[in-house]
Amino acid sequence: MTSIDERPLPSLLPEYCKGCGRCLAACTKDCISVGTEIHPVTGLVPVVIDLTNCNRCGLCFDACPEPFGLQPADGQSSCALMDPALLGGKRPFDAPTPEPMPDSMLDLPARAPLVVKGTYASAVGAVLAGCRHVYGYPITPSTEGAELMAKVLPALDGVFVQAVSEVATVNIMYGAGGAGKRCMTFTSSPGFSLMLEGISYMIGAEVPAVFVNIMRGGPGLGNIAPAQADIKLACRGLGHGNTHAIVLAPATPQEMLDCTMLAFELAFEYRNPVVVLGDGYLGQMTGKVLLPDRMVVPGIPEWAVAGDRSHRGNLICSIELSEAELERHDQELDEKYARMIAKEQRADLHHCDDADVVLVACNTPAQLAKGAVRELRAAGLRVGLFRPITVWPFPIDALCEVLPDAGHLVVVEASEGQLEDEMRLALSHADVHAPPISHVRRQGGILPSQEEIVEHVQGLRGVR
Amino acid sequence: MSSPVFYRQFERHDHAAGLHAHSTTYCPGCGHGVVQKFLAEAIDDLGVQDRTVLVSPVGCSVFSYYYFDVGNSQAAHGRAPAVALGHKTANPDSIVICYQGDGDLASIGLAEIISTAQLGVPITVIFANNAIYGMTGGQMAPTTLLGQPTSTSPSGRGLLAGQPLKVAEMIAGLDGPVFVERVALYDNKHRTHAKRAIEKALRLQVDGVGFAFIEVLSECPIHLHLEPEAAEAWVHEHMEPVFPLGVKKDTTDGARYPTIPTPTFDAERTLEVLGATTDEPTRFATEFPVHLDPDDISLKLAGAGGDGAQTAAMLITRAAIGEGFDATHIPSYGPESRGGTSYADVHVAKTEVLAPAAPHPHVLVAFNAPSLTKFGPTVRPGGVIIYDSSVIGAVPDTLADGVRLVGVPFTEVAKDLGAPVVKNVVALGALQAVTQLFPTETFLATIRTAVGNKADLAAVNEHAFTRGATLAHTRT
Repeated sequence: MTSIDERPLPSLLPEYCKGCGRCLAACTKDCISVGTEIHPVTGLVPVVIDLTNCNRCGLCFDACPEPFGLQPADGQSSCALMDPALLGGKRPFDAPTPEPMPDSMLDLPARAPLVVKGTYASAVGAVLAGCRHVYGYPITPSTEGAELMAKVLPALDGVFVQAVSEVATVNIMYGAGGAGKRCMTFTSSPGFSLMLEGISYMIGAEVPAVFVNIMRGGPGLGNIAPAQADIKLACRGLGHGNTHAIVLAPATPQEMLDCTMLAFELAFEYRNPVVVLGDGYLGQMTGKVLLPDRMVVPGIPEWAVAGDRSHRGNLICSIELSEAELERHDQELDEKYARMIAKEQRADLHHCDDADVVLVACNTPAQLAKGAVRELRAAGLRVGLFRPITVWPFPIDALCEVLPDAGHLVVVEASEGQLEDEMRLALSHADVHAPPISHVRRQGGILPSQEEIVEHVQGLRGVR
Repeated sequence: MSSPVFYRQFERHDHAAGLHAHSTTYCPGCGHGVVQKFLAEAIDDLGVQDRTVLVSPVGCSVFSYYYFDVGNSQAAHGRAPAVALGHKTANPDSIVICYQGDGDLASIGLAEIISTAQLGVPITVIFANNAIYGMTGGQMAPTTLLGQPTSTSPSGRGLLAGQPLKVAEMIAGLDGPVFVERVALYDNKHRTHAKRAIEKALRLQVDGVGFAFIEVLSECPIHLHLEPEAAEAWVHEHMEPVFPLGVKKDTTDGARYPTIPTPTFDAERTLEVLGATTDEPTRFATEFPVHLDPDDISLKLAGAGGDGAQTAAMLITRAAIGEGFDATHIPSYGPESRGGTSYADVHVAKTEVLAPAAPHPHVLVAFNAPSLTKFGPTVRPGGVIIYDSSVIGAVPDTLADGVRLVGVPFTEVAKDLGAPVVKNVVALGALQAVTQLFPTETFLATIRTAVGNKADLAAVNEHAFTRGATLAHTRT
C-alpha cells in the first residue's frame, strides 16, 4: 500500500485549465482557489493552486474534467517548471500499422444446380462471397433471404440478427461493415426508404455493405407486388449529401446469385455500399441456379476497426467539421464515383447488332422484353434488347455503340419512368444524339406484359 | 500523467496544434470530461485498450474519437447501440463501449437502446444524463425536469412536453441487461463511486458476462446557466430526487453470455449447409413436351392457403429442371397466412423462361370453386383444366375454345388414404395423366427426393399420385 507521502502531488498547467473550479470543492485542504488573472493564451481564468497544505489525497484529479488538466505530477517536479512541449510532442502510439490480410479463394467441388427462389439465390451468393454477418427486418417480398440466412448462418458459425427496425439494421451493418466484415441485408421498398440515412453515413464513412432490395409497389405502404419504383432512390437518393453506389439489377434467379457475389467484391473494392435491386417477381421466383466454382474467404481490411491491436488506430467516421476538409472528402468521393463510371458499367445486349428498335429494360421486365424480342423477330421485325445490369452507373458507353443504327429506344419498366430518367440523364451527359424514345410502363405492382411490348413496337411508325 | 488511453496529442481535432491538442471540446465544468476520464482509467486498469471499440454518436461527446486511443466508430444520432452490436457481433473479442447522451439515447435512439439492452450481448453503455441538449444549444431533453426552462420549453417543461424519462429504471426493467446503475459526479464520494461503477460495467464485458448500463447524472453548466459548482449542487438537489441513484439491477451470478460464434470457411461444409448435393437427377423424358407447346408451357395452380398449390408447383418446377429444361415458379398469396388465396404460376421452357407469369396458362389446376371461376376463363384455347371435383360442383361455361375439363376428387382420395395433405399430389397424378407433361417416373423421383426419401411418406405420396392418375384416365 502506498503511503500517503509517496502519493504524487497534483500538477496543473494553466494552459489546460478552463477554470471551471470543480476541483475547488473536491479539495478538503482548500489548496485551490478561483483565479483572478486571464491566461494570455487561452483567454480563460485558470485556478490557482497553493500546495502548502496538500495532503496528496488525489481527489482533485477525479474532479477535473480535462485529460491534461489536474493530474499527478511526475516525480516531485513543480508544475511551474514543466514545459508544455514535454506533455505534447508526437503521441507515443504503440499500435502497429495494420498488415494487409487479403481475401483468399477456396475451390468448390461441383454440385447439381439448386432450384431456389431469387432471394435464396442471393443469400447463397452472399454466403459464397464470404458473408457471415446478416442483419435484417422482415418485409415482404424479401423475407425469404433473411429466413434462409437465419437457418444457414448458425451452421457456419455466422451471425444473423433480426433487428428492431430497418433503421437499426443499417446501423448494425455500419458497425459490422466498419469492423471489416462482409455484411448484408434483405429488404423491400418501404424498408429501403428507412435505411437511406444510414446508407449516407456508410458512404460518408466509406463502409462497404450489400443491400438487396426486392422492390414492391408504392408509394407508401403500396402493395407487395413486383415493381421497379426504387431505381430513383438507389441511383439518385441514397440519403443526404454527395452519395452514389453501384446499383446492380439482376434479371433471373441465377443473376441474383451472381450479382450478390459481385456486389460484395465491388463493395470492398470501392469501400462503398452496393445495392442489388430486384423486383418482387425475382425475389419470389424459383428457378435453376448454378453454383460458382470458387468461394471467398474474407481477409481483414487494413482500415477496419477490428477491435485488435493492429487496427487500434483506425476510425470509422462521417463527420468533417472543416469545410475545406469536407470538400476534399467529397472530391475524393467524386473521384471514386468517376472510377466506378469508367470501370463498372455492365450491360447485356441481346440482338442489338442490327436492331431498328432497341428495348431498354432491367430485372423481370427485361425477361418479358426478351420474350417480346423473340416474338417480334419471328414476325420479321429487327428488335433488340439492351439490358442494363448496372443501373448506376448507367451503361451509357455500350448504349452509345448501338445508337447509330437504332431508330427507336423503347424503355420497358414497372415504374413511372425511373429507368427512362436514368437513361435520359446518361444520354444527356454523353451529349449524343438519341433517336426517339418511347416507353411501355406499368405501375402499382403490375409488370408490362409481353403483349403490351409487342403491341407498342408494332405501333411505332416506320419500324422495319 | 494523463491516462495512456487518451491520445497524447489530439491530432484529430480540427486545430490540433497548440492548445487544442490537449484540451477537450467540452465546456468548462462539463461532466463528460469527468466521465471520460473514468472510462479511460477503467480501460487502462482492465488492460483492454487494444481490444476496445468506442462508439460515439451525435451529441457533445461525438468527438470522443479525438481523445480515446482505441478503435473508434462514430455513429448517427441515437444509433450507437446498433453500431455497437455490429462491432460486437463482428468481433466478439472486442470490447465495445457505447457512450451516449440523453438526447441521443433517450429520445431518437430509444428503439436501439432498448432492443440492444434486451438482447443482452456484452456491451457497455455509458449514458450521460444532464437533463438538456448540449450540442444543439440548450433545448429540452427527454430527461429535462418538469418546470425546467430550456430554449424549447421557455416557460419550463410542461404542457405537451412530457415528463422526465427514467432511463436506468426502464433498462433495469428489461430481462437482457445484467447490471444497471445510476451514479453522479457532484462530489468526491459520488465521483469515486461512479468510477467504480464504470469499471464494473466494463469488467462485466471483459469477463463476457453481459450487457451493462451506467447512467451518469452529469453537469451541463453552460446550458443550465449555472457556475460549475452550482451545477453540481443542482444535480444533487433537483436531478437526484427525480433520478434516484443506486444499483437498479444486478443479476451477475457468474453466468456468462453465450459465446458469439466466429465464422468458419470450409467448402464442403458450406455447400452442405446450403443444401447443394452432387445428386444429378435421373432424366426420364426423351424430349420437351412439344405436344403442349413447342417452347414454353405455362401452368397455374390455384386454391386456398393450405391446399398445397405452391408445393405442387415447386415439384413441377424441380421435375422440369431435373429433366434439363428451364422452369420457374412464382407464388401469389393473399394477406392471410392460412386459408387465404394461394396461386402459383409455373413455366416450363425448352431453353429459357422469359415471362414467368401465367396470365393465359396451358394448364390450370383448381383446388376450389373460386379459383376455377377466376382462372378457368383465362386458360388458353385447347388448354386443360384439372379441378377438385370433391369440392367443386358447377364449372364455368365461359371457357375458351377446346378447353378440356377434368374433375378428379383430390380431397376424397387424399382422405381415403388417411393423409388429407396429399391432395396436391393427387392433383399432380391427374396432371401427369391428362397432360403427359413429363413421364410418371420424373414426378415420382422428384416427390421421393422432396420427402427426403422417407419410405412411409414416399409410399403414401406415390399412392396419391397413382390414384390421381388413374382417376383422371377414367374421366378423359
